[in-house]
Parts: sequence; C-alpha cells; structure tokens
Amino acid sequence: MSEEQIRIAKDLLAEGVGLIAAAGYINNEGGQAIADAASELMDQGCKTLVIDLDGTRIINSIGVSILLEILEKLMDEKGRLAFCNLTPTIAKTFEIMGLVQYATVYPDRLAARAALEGHAAV
Amino acid sequence: MEVVLHLPVVPNAELVAAKAVETLGRALGMHQTQVEAASVAMVEACLNAMEHGGGPVTVRLRGDNHSRPCLVIEVEDHGRGFDPERAPRNSSSRVLGSTSKRGWGLTLIRELMDEVQIQSAPGRTVVAMRKYVESAP
Repeated sequence: MSEEQIRIAKDLLAEGVGLIAAAGYINNEGGQAIADAASELMDQGCKTLVIDLDGTRIINSIGVSILLEILEKLMDEKGRLAFCNLTPTIAKTFEIMGLVQYATVYPDRLAARAALEGHAAV
Repeated sequence: MEVVLHLPVVPNAELVAAKAVETLGRALGMHQTQVEAASVAMVEACLNAMEHGGGPVTVRLRGDNHSRPCLVIEVEDHGRGFDPERAPRNSSSRVLGSTSKRGWGLTLIRELMDEVQIQSAPGRTVVAMRKYVESAP
C-alpha cells in the first residue's frame, strides 16, 4: 500500500501552537514519528499541538495509544491537543478509545487556526 | 468471489489485507467510510492474530448476499486460543493515566463492524466479521 510509510511535516500554526501534518499509516512507527515531532515542538515552547491527519486513511490501536501518550504529556504541561481533517472512521476510533474526550477536533486546518490563535500563549 | 490471503508475520503485512478489503469493498458498492471501518477492524484482527497466534495468519474475504449484502472477513490463526467472554473490554474512561494503553483490538472490531463472531480453541481461532453494504450518502 502506498501509504505504508508515514510522512511527517511540522510547523508553527500560530504563536505557541505547533502543527504536525501526518499522512500515512499510523501504526507503532507512525505514532512514534508523530510523538517525536510533538516532543520537538513542545521543546520549542508549543503548549498547544494540532495534528492534521489529511492523507491518513488507516490507523491501528497501537498507533493511537501513542497519540494518547502525547495527550498525557500535553495535559501534564497544561497544554492542549487538537486534531483536524479526520476521516469518519478515524474520528470514531478516537471516540471509542477516549481521545476526543480530552482533545478537540476541528474540520480542517483553517478552523483550527481560527479557534486557537490568541489562546495558546499561556 | 472470494479472496484468501496467507499473511506472514512481518511488519505491515496487515496492509496487504487492508488493500484487499478496499478492492473487494468497492466492488461490492460499499461507501468509502464503510470500507475504511472494515479495514481498521480487519487490521486489528490481524494484529491480534499475529501477536497471539504464533504463526502465519489466514484472511478470507468475500461478498455475501444471504440476508443483506455485506462484506465478510474471517481472520484465522493457529495459536493457543482464548475465551472471548473473558477478553478485555476497554473503556475510554480508564485510558488516561493507565500504564498500558493496549488491548483495544476486540473493542474496536466490535464497534466498527456490524456483526462479529469469534470461535476459539487451542490451535484455531477465527474472528468472523460482517460489514453491511450501505449506499453512499
């Protein structure tokens, strides 16, 4: 499958808001790649992270469990986690596994930026 | 039409079966969301089989029109088996703070598929799942 290898890009969405764009299979390796990007952005002072999953169609529970660990780290730092561009199946999987009870889901990157700009500098 | 795959226990072998779910699901007229749900459930079944089955995993896929049109997926392994009634049912309320966040496979399979049957005995476990064909919204 072409999406076997995950592709990660990270950037600043707004002041204090890190963006991680992840496209591909979120398994243990994909989840870890996202976690590594999250750690780098947190080290740069980002307390709010947005994970954009546009281009991700398939995930597994091992990968999602790593996303839960990112959420825990952010919550320990009084930070926030958000997602955007989720497929209905990924959104349902996150709901089943408890991720969306503590993270915010936005329809797309623009909506995430509009909601989070100005709220991230803690 | 039936597709039978024998998957070796190697990283990402489950994606081969996911591709087959995608191809067969589309041929049956399933909406993309149903295909993706079936793919995630099948991936979880394969991962469980590879982790606990101790050897190659067999995946069978076919369309069925007995009562309602559906995609049927069977994942078979030859491990020591387990009691489905005693399998963990995870709850989202106990996720955060837990040292182990694993064990979600069966919960996801049951939530994402329309019917799930598990037959397990020492030497042979079969997880049989059905996803009904639904027309695109």
